[in-house]
Amino acid sequence: MNRSITAVLGAATVLSLALTGCSSGDDGAGADGKTTLTLAGWSLATTPEFKLLADGFHQKNPDVTVELKEYDPKNYDTQMIADLAAGKAPDIYVQKTLKNFYTYQSGKQLLDVSDVAAGLKSANGLSSYQVDGKTFAVPYRGDSWVIYYNKALFDQAKVKYPDGSWTWDDYAAAGKQLTTGLKTAGSKALGIYEHVWQSTLQGFALAQTPGADLASGNFGYLKPYYTRALDLQKAGAQVGLGDATTNNLTYQAQFGKQQAAMMTMGTWYIATLLSQQKSGDADTFEWGIAPAPQADKSTTGTAATPVTFADPTGLGINPKIDKGEIDAAKAFLSYAAGPDAAKALAAIGITPANTDAAADTIFAVKGVPTDAVAKFAFTKHDTKPENPVGKYTAPLQNILNDLHTAVLSGSKDIDAAIAEAQDRAKNEVLNK
Amino acid sequence: MTTIPAARRRRNTLLGWSFLLPNFIGFALLTMVPVVLLFYYAFTSWDMFGGSEWTGLDNFQQMVRDASFRTALGNTLYYTVFHIPLTLLAALGLALLLNKRLRGVAFFRTVAFFPYITSIVAVAQVWNMLFSPGYGPINAVLRAVGVDNPPGWTTSADWSMPAVIVVGTWREMGYFMLIFLAGLQTVPGELYEAARVDGANAWQRLRAVTLPCLRPTTFFVIVMLTINSFKVFDLILVMTNGGPGQSTLVLAQYIYRKGFEENQFGYASAVSVVLFGICFLVTVVQFLVNRRREA
Repeated sequence: MNRSITAVLGAATVLSLALTGCSSGDDGAGADGKTTLTLAGWSLATTPEFKLLADGFHQKNPDVTVELKEYDPKNYDTQMIADLAAGKAPDIYVQKTLKNFYTYQSGKQLLDVSDVAAGLKSANGLSSYQVDGKTFAVPYRGDSWVIYYNKALFDQAKVKYPDGSWTWDDYAAAGKQLTTGLKTAGSKALGIYEHVWQSTLQGFALAQTPGADLASGNFGYLKPYYTRALDLQKAGAQVGLGDATTNNLTYQAQFGKQQAAMMTMGTWYIATLLSQQKSGDADTFEWGIAPAPQADKSTTGTAATPVTFADPTGLGINPKIDKGEIDAAKAFLSYAAGPDAAKALAAIGITPANTDAAADTIFAVKGVPTDAVAKFAFTKHDTKPENPVGKYTAPLQNILNDLHTAVLSGSKDIDAAIAEAQDRAKNEVLNK
Repeated sequence: MTTIPAARRRRNTLLGWSFLLPNFIGFALLTMVPVVLLFYYAFTSWDMFGGSEWTGLDNFQQMVRDASFRTALGNTLYYTVFHIPLTLLAALGLALLLNKRLRGVAFFRTVAFFPYITSIVAVAQVWNMLFSPGYGPINAVLRAVGVDNPPGWTTSADWSMPAVIVVGTWREMGYFMLIFLAGLQTVPGELYEAARVDGANAWQRLRAVTLPCLRPTTFFVIVMLTINSFKVFDLILVMTNGGPGQSTLVLAQYIYRKGFEENQFGYASAVSVVLFGICFLVTVVQFLVNRRREA
């Protein structure tokens, strides 16, 4: 009997060792010269860019296969941090937002890829990944926020299309005009939809206000943007934050199903809108893009460069990668940030970091608006980061998200909310 | 008196251990070790990637100055103070109601238990739509009965907590109803008979027979409810995400934010230790009170 207990325990131990052994199995460079790299991605079924990059690279380098590892888009960084800490993360992983780049970089979870960066000719947003003269990731997507507008609804309301000359006051005035015009025409659509994210207001405020600095802990620059949004909510020209959150509204449905005549959103929505119009998830209507509204007249018009925001999307290498695979991984980064991948990405409606190489390609895609304003909006902009890289960015953004929901729900007036956010920033983050 | 031979006793012990071990190893590795480590990390500035420095009481000193921590603690107490009695009363009421022999009682018991096993994300989404200030049916009914300014529920800083408490109570009452139902089966029928013979009415029977017999069950329910209330997390995360502002930010969510969103695992561990301490203290007090009553 005793012996059988020992045998059972022994068998269990062997089994558990075998199981854990299986999961940590790693296939790197094989003896036959073939290499397998792993790449992180999210929502692979609806986000084709990862497979596109993997296949494109494999075509050029038949000896290297890139396998995808899927993550949940909403919890991408949480899961990635856990995987990195556990040593289970893929060889190459995406910097989905800049908010967590500091965490990865300061936590020594990114390999120095300065040599890759040195070989890149044009890459919007590269500087965000540079710390102390070294580069830790390279951007492959370089989105920026623009206005999307529904030409049919504008025509119905008899309002002129945005032409790049708009300040935020013009935008708000047009939004109200559209709402009344559409009502008169018997449409239920509103003039504007702004999504529930804090970035819809705070991203622009930070990028466009001279001297605005997130890390300073002074948030006075937010006031005009919130005052305007509250006024638009009150006037009924846009859905209030409360109704948008309680009903789980999606911006894809709000714009795609023609519930709103215009909205500001990142250029990533171009690809989504195209595919949803094809699949029937969005109505078929003519739409356009225009430069984001500006803080004042000094940056409007096609002679100036409009200021907007967005975080680049980059690729970095996990330092735990097999030594023999580093060269292949760096070659993948060069490819992904280079002109060939830029064209391939643009062909499916994605804005690559290398916009120069891709402009012709993206405007040749069927359904993409090709008027002069759209081309200008796509190619010319000064795009500032939404999350400037820094130690305090993540906690400060959390504080500002509380401000966002408190103000737009009408629970706090903007001055009190700013004062409270500044106090919290000082006591809980900056001087803790 | 029988004596068990030493060999057999050893065999029995080993046999017992072999039954215990699989569960115990899982518990030790997945629960005990992390819990013990938590107490260590509470005194460090751990960032998850191995960078961990001993910082002594720094985390706790920071907590004293941290207004958001106080807000989260206050909100947690607010939730607890209302959620416990409401759920207790609702569960007990349901149990008494459904302890009768009536047609379709099994159906009604199932209905009452249903919220507990429904996906929390779906529940939160549906309740959010019911609570929607502009288009939701709850406010439509309120307006119809003459309330001119119905509350903004989850979109208002004053009403978001009551809304969450309502949903929390609705969700958990079915589970505790089941426990009360089980407790009610243990009340001896002759006590009711005796009470009836003595001329006690329904209310008196409830006060003098049912409730005292249910005391062990009630105690269990209160302890479970207390711990559940203090660590409420998923419901709030999906319903309000702590907002608007910080109006529904609770301790468990604050820990999640500090840890998984801001990567201050040391500080998050320290807050967890405080939450553990509160739960522990309250439970001990409840035990002591219960023992004194029983004595």
